Amino acid sequence: MRRGISILLIIAVATVFSGCDNSRQIETASIIKNVSVDRRGSQVVYTFYRLSSGETPWGIDVPADSFEEACALARDMYIPNLSLAKLELLMLSEDVYEEVMQDDVDYISTQASFSPIAYVTLCDDTTIEKIKETNRTQRVIEEQLILLKKNNPSVNINYLSIFNNFARRGEDSFTVPFISSEKELKVSEIEINRCII
Amino acid sequence: MQTEVKFSSKRFLLSLLLCACSVILLQNNDLSSNASFTFNAVCIAAGLAVCFLFFLPSLALKKKTDSDVLSLARRYTPKLRIPLAVFYALYFVYTALYFLLPYIDMFHTKYFPEVTPCLITFIMLLGCAYAACKGVNVISRFGIFLFLFALLTNILMFGGSLSELDFSHYGFELQGDFNSFIQNTLYFVTPSFIAAIFACCSGVTKNFRFRQPVFTLIFTGLKYTAIVFFVWFALGDYAGRQTYPAFVLSRVAHFGPFAGIESFYLALATMSVFMIVALFLCCISRGACTDGDRKTVLIFTVIIFALYVTATYINSVKEILVNPVLLILLTFVAAVMLPAAYIFVGRKSNATGN
Repeated sequence: MRRGISILLIIAVATVFSGCDNSRQIETASIIKNVSVDRRGSQVVYTFYRLSSGETPWGIDVPADSFEEACALARDMYIPNLSLAKLELLMLSEDVYEEVMQDDVDYISTQASFSPIAYVTLCDDTTIEKIKETNRTQRVIEEQLILLKKNNPSVNINYLSIFNNFARRGEDSFTVPFISSEKELKVSEIEINRCII
Repeated sequence: MQTEVKFSSKRFLLSLLLCACSVILLQNNDLSSNASFTFNAVCIAAGLAVCFLFFLPSLALKKKTDSDVLSLARRYTPKLRIPLAVFYALYFVYTALYFLLPYIDMFHTKYFPEVTPCLITFIMLLGCAYAACKGVNVISRFGIFLFLFALLTNILMFGGSLSELDFSHYGFELQGDFNSFIQNTLYFVTPSFIAAIFACCSGVTKNFRFRQPVFTLIFTGLKYTAIVFFVWFALGDYAGRQTYPAFVLSRVAHFGPFAGIESFYLALATMSVFMIVALFLCCISRGACTDGDRKTVLIFTVIIFALYVTATYINSVKEILVNPVLLILLTFVAAVMLPAAYIFVGRKSNATGN
């Protein structure tokens, strides 16, 4: 009898503390895997792509002036359970990076939930369009970025190294990846001048 | 109630090594930002040299009498036994909170923001009380498992951060001022609390050798240097933007696309703090009665919890409880002055033939 009560008590405690009572399906958990930033008209738009088991990405467009504002708006208006802890890739269009990149990386560096090794890359508008079509595009981009880093260790592919480059004094520029796409994805390097940002 | 069985001193010192290493795991921007890696390495050497000096009286006591302060107090000064036990109890309650407060804060802010910190503390203290009831011997056995786990975590943390090391922008120059030296050295004196544990519990160990605490402090220094090295060269300026750099280091560690070492770090920090608090409760219980006295352990667990709740609501209490200078002063009394006094008391008693 006592053993039975103990087992029931352990099960009840384990259920409560493991969070099993509050579990959600992956489709409704609103885990963001990838964010792209581009310009539509005169407005900068942040698109949050959710983690999903399907092949087609599910993105939400949030017009905002900075990533900080976009996250706040996304939580308030679009995705109440927004979670950015699993964010793997931030893609900035070549039209907007001068405007938002430094501030966004600076904001991310202060947030405990973001992974410092998430990838950051510049890209053209065709790549931004391609990532809306299939989840495979993100996987290919990440593979290409790892390959690029392997071939050229001086290129900065994540928040951590990009933030450190912005914070550093003495040098005027540093390199980041650039993804272009006409028929297939092509990764190259682009030099960013710190003074223009 | 446990019968007192002597166990290997090596195992006890291994547990103390793990306790000392937890200090750097919970480091939260306590080090001066003006200091370079080489400067911090000098501070580590200076701080741990002071720690060794803190160890000397209790080492001499152990070598001469094969006993600890609390046992000698019972033998030589029965009238002073209670004030001494009260002092050590207060000291260990203070030190337990000194470690619990940053640990719970780290756990709450970095890992589990949805759960109230008091609940995490309550569960943690329950575990510690249970372990303390089992005695120092059992806790030190757990230390063997924890040592292997710490080894694995460190290999993963450091191995996974190798790709992020940047020697071109962060150099080995000696850069820092006098104030930074004082601040950082004071921080690296913090692990001297293990000398106080040694002063209270060394009586239950056998096969003690003088080199054991020396190796303990050398390994502590190596671990500190490794963490400071990786924080300086792998995280760079990013470390200054975040709280708990060791946690950030565990997030940065990755092997290709595989990341997520922070759960290992968190488990290591949890088990280290668990062992520290459990050892403190054991020391309190040894002072009051014998090793593993349940009533004493439970009472002091409740006191620690009550003080934790007070500290979370009253900021002035929290400031006192996390004051590093006060901790070092109290450690000086607990690890240096009282054991030194008992060396003289013992010598005097032997001379008079008592």
